Amino acid sequence: MFEYALSVMIFLPIVTGLVMLLFPLSKETARITGFIVTVAILFRGIEIFLSFTGTGGMEYVESRSWIQSLGISYGLGIDGISLLVLMAGTVLFPMLFTIFKTQPKGYYANLLIAQGAMIGAICATDLVLFYIFWEVMLLPIFFMIGLYGGSKRLPATLKITIYTIAGSLLMLAALVYVGVSYHTQFGKWTFAIVQLSELELGGGFAVLAFFMFMVAFAIKIPLFPFHTWLPDAYTEAPTATTFVLSAIMAKIGVYAVIRFVMPVFEIEFARFAVLLSLAGVTGMIYCGLAAISQKDMKRMLAFSSASHMGIIALGVFCMNVQALTGTLFQIAAHATSTGVLFLFVGLMEERMQTRKIENLGGIAYRAPIFATFFAIAMLASVGLPATSGFIGEFLIILGAIKFNAFIGILAGTTLVIGVCYMLWMFQRVFFERSNERTENFQDLNLSEALTFLPVIVLIFAMGIFPQAFIKKIEPAAQQQIAKAFAMPQAQVAETIVPTPGHNNHKE
Amino acid sequence: MDDLMLLFPLLIIGSGALLLMLLAAFEKIEVESASYISMGFFAAAFFVQLLVASTPETVLFGKIFNGMLVSSNFTTIAGLIILGCGFFTTMSSHTYFRVNLFCTLEFYAIILFGTCGMLLLTLSQELITAFISLEIMSLSIYILVGYDRSNIRSTEAILKYLMLGAFAGAFFIMGTAFIYGGTQSTKFAEIGSFVAGHSATNPLVLGGVFFIFVAFLFKAAAFPFHAWVIDVYDGAAAPVTGFMATALKTAVFTIFANFLAINGALHQGWITFLFYIAVFTMFGGNLIAIGQHSIKRMLAASGIVHSGYLLIALVAISTDHFTGTVIGYYLAAYAVGTLGIFSALSYLGGEGEKRATFEDFKGLAKVRPYSAAAITVFLLSMAGIPPTAGFMAKFYVITSAVTAGHMTLALLGIMSSILSIRYYLRLIINMYFHEAEEYFETGGSPWATAATFILVFCVFAIGLYPIVI
Repeated sequence: MFEYALSVMIFLPIVTGLVMLLFPLSKETARITGFIVTVAILFRGIEIFLSFTGTGGMEYVESRSWIQSLGISYGLGIDGISLLVLMAGTVLFPMLFTIFKTQPKGYYANLLIAQGAMIGAICATDLVLFYIFWEVMLLPIFFMIGLYGGSKRLPATLKITIYTIAGSLLMLAALVYVGVSYHTQFGKWTFAIVQLSELELGGGFAVLAFFMFMVAFAIKIPLFPFHTWLPDAYTEAPTATTFVLSAIMAKIGVYAVIRFVMPVFEIEFARFAVLLSLAGVTGMIYCGLAAISQKDMKRMLAFSSASHMGIIALGVFCMNVQALTGTLFQIAAHATSTGVLFLFVGLMEERMQTRKIENLGGIAYRAPIFATFFAIAMLASVGLPATSGFIGEFLIILGAIKFNAFIGILAGTTLVIGVCYMLWMFQRVFFERSNERTENFQDLNLSEALTFLPVIVLIFAMGIFPQAFIKKIEPAAQQQIAKAFAMPQAQVAETIVPTPGHNNHKE
Repeated sequence: MDDLMLLFPLLIIGSGALLLMLLAAFEKIEVESASYISMGFFAAAFFVQLLVASTPETVLFGKIFNGMLVSSNFTTIAGLIILGCGFFTTMSSHTYFRVNLFCTLEFYAIILFGTCGMLLLTLSQELITAFISLEIMSLSIYILVGYDRSNIRSTEAILKYLMLGAFAGAFFIMGTAFIYGGTQSTKFAEIGSFVAGHSATNPLVLGGVFFIFVAFLFKAAAFPFHAWVIDVYDGAAAPVTGFMATALKTAVFTIFANFLAINGALHQGWITFLFYIAVFTMFGGNLIAIGQHSIKRMLAASGIVHSGYLLIALVAISTDHFTGTVIGYYLAAYAVGTLGIFSALSYLGGEGEKRATFEDFKGLAKVRPYSAAAITVFLLSMAGIPPTAGFMAKFYVITSAVTAGHMTLALLGIMSSILSIRYYLRLIINMYFHEAEEYFETGGSPWATAATFILVFCVFAIGLYPIVI
């Protein structure tokens, strides 16, 4: 059992989800089964977190040869880089089954399949295995938006699906290129990431492959200018899907950059780091400004989420330990804040049938507990000290200033925009005048309050005792940086790049 | 392995065809019993072939056939695919002809004869043998396409296919004559040694190979000989279309690969040609598919696109130690996906195939969730989404192209599959995200349904345990 901990975490939800789809079950049975399964996964997750030693290497390793002729293996493992992403994927999931009580069976089943596939993508240490889970996790999202989404769901579904699949297919080509290059250089086939990091790639095709990987992940994150699918998809998707997309799936994009792109394409990564970090900062500013002008709360949060993903991605491109640790920390922190805000908006929509900011007001007088919880999550999202959002953003900006003062200052000042749209929205929705819609707003009932309480506690815990989390991730971050960027920047600039047009393998 | 054993599947199918033909002449049995008999023969041949395939080796039939037939690992796999296609086609025909009443006893005999031709085509290593088996196969398919004589579209289809197919046959025989003129032989091995000894740019060899390629490209529905596919696939009955799209393509690509692999210089000389053919086939097929409203026409066009991917694999084959595994695997993956959709169409199409367009399948998932799920699996496999067989197949093709140094071709293949997502998704969206307007009542027998769900299992089994490679 213990040996297969990760496999169980991947396949228990997937199999349960499929069984739920195949057999006639009532909504309530489906929901309770889903809840039990996710809680079981949650306990496994917590157990893994507690017994994780944080020495920097892979733990809970499973490796089994799958397709020998191409060296593809079923390889799983967890290290400091994936630990908090895994936590984001496990800890918050049971909430979805207690908050949304009246959805159809397929809704819960798809959520479970999505969870299993995401855990698979997080744990995979083989590039092909990762790709398979990466593609599979899109399918439940596709069906959830298309079946249970808002009124304009069809265009949104098509947009997100074609966008992401296009990115993934480009990644497939790049992935094959990496595998074949390894075969040419070392004479054997493998797609295991540990071995692939020994590759030395250079030349035109390497740059192309690097960008194909980056585009695939940039679409998922989404990084400016590949963010255009996000507002539609996040707005039209049912709330649980939006939560899954923003809190976990987007993070897997960032995680994949750290895990797969950084060690393999270290030279290209260093060469284009400034460009990529500018894309991150631009996304931050652009989406932040766009968020100010939104009239729909969910759409505003969608832009806010995109803006935050900009800073999370920025941390990766700064190529130093502080920023990387900050990013890894922020991945979990962002899930607890923005992800939870989406759930709150979902609750409000269920109660008032509207998300328009102008139609709301005065909720704080009717529902003080709800308003307090909302405020805490919101303040965590804008990065108030003593909440989870502060530590990560602080570390990222510290790293950004170390990397490039201009970008650092730009990123630091942009955080103000976040405060603008959030506080302004809060003022309009929770204070000001209440109207006939908000008159009868029900405060959180006991079970809802109890559902959200752990998250609120987590927000403070991560803000006040960050060391408990950072000590688990920092060694891995250090190793990753040390391995990938052994050579200083000046040397990278002078590395002779062979002429493009040839397949520049070192013979 | 005994030589006879290797030919045993062919013999079983051949005797089955003759038996059914005789039974049909005396009109002793019902149409449905004929379908059971042919299912039995296909199943028997399939298991014998499986037995043969479990001990792979290359056997040259030197004594009995004077080296005109060669059995290798690749041909046994191709044989397996063809026999499987035949089996599932008879299953879905059984259901289809309960509702559409134009079947006679000869139908199943002709399917068996066609299969004979296909099996022989995969084995042949000599141009005249290849021609004869190509014609056995084609003649059967012509008849099958035009089986519904009262249907005007079916008649149009057979006319188009017969005319153009006859041209292709003529090209093939002309190419054979040219090659014989140049090399004094029609055997692949001797052509290979001639090319190795002299040069591949001998005008007679060059012209001959070109004409033979024309015939193969026509049969494989590759650019620029793809225009007939849409109408012919549309006009034929659903099970027949499935059979054509899968078994026939398997046979043609097997002989195509065997022919290309006879000599490295020959293959090298035609790479650029095949490169452009592959690119135009993929993108031409995609452009046609995007504009279609009928599912069968869309599948016909997507068949063109898949021919394009197979051409990529052909460009990338290594002639030194040719194994054909990538092509074999791709054909298997493509066959299960396509056959699956066609067997689903066989029982969902209804009388006279009244449900044919994307619109007609709106809301299928609300009424028949399992059928919709099965079709979704097949579509995802054809689009190459993991963990289906189609993904693995695409992965192998791309890997083989990159390994052979054709990065551009691999990239263009990826671009084309991005385009293809659009029309596969369209059907899924119609099935799932719209409300049902009818009840999708189906008549007939459960055989086609059974075939569909067995094939769903195959899609995953082949995808997750790619033992062929």
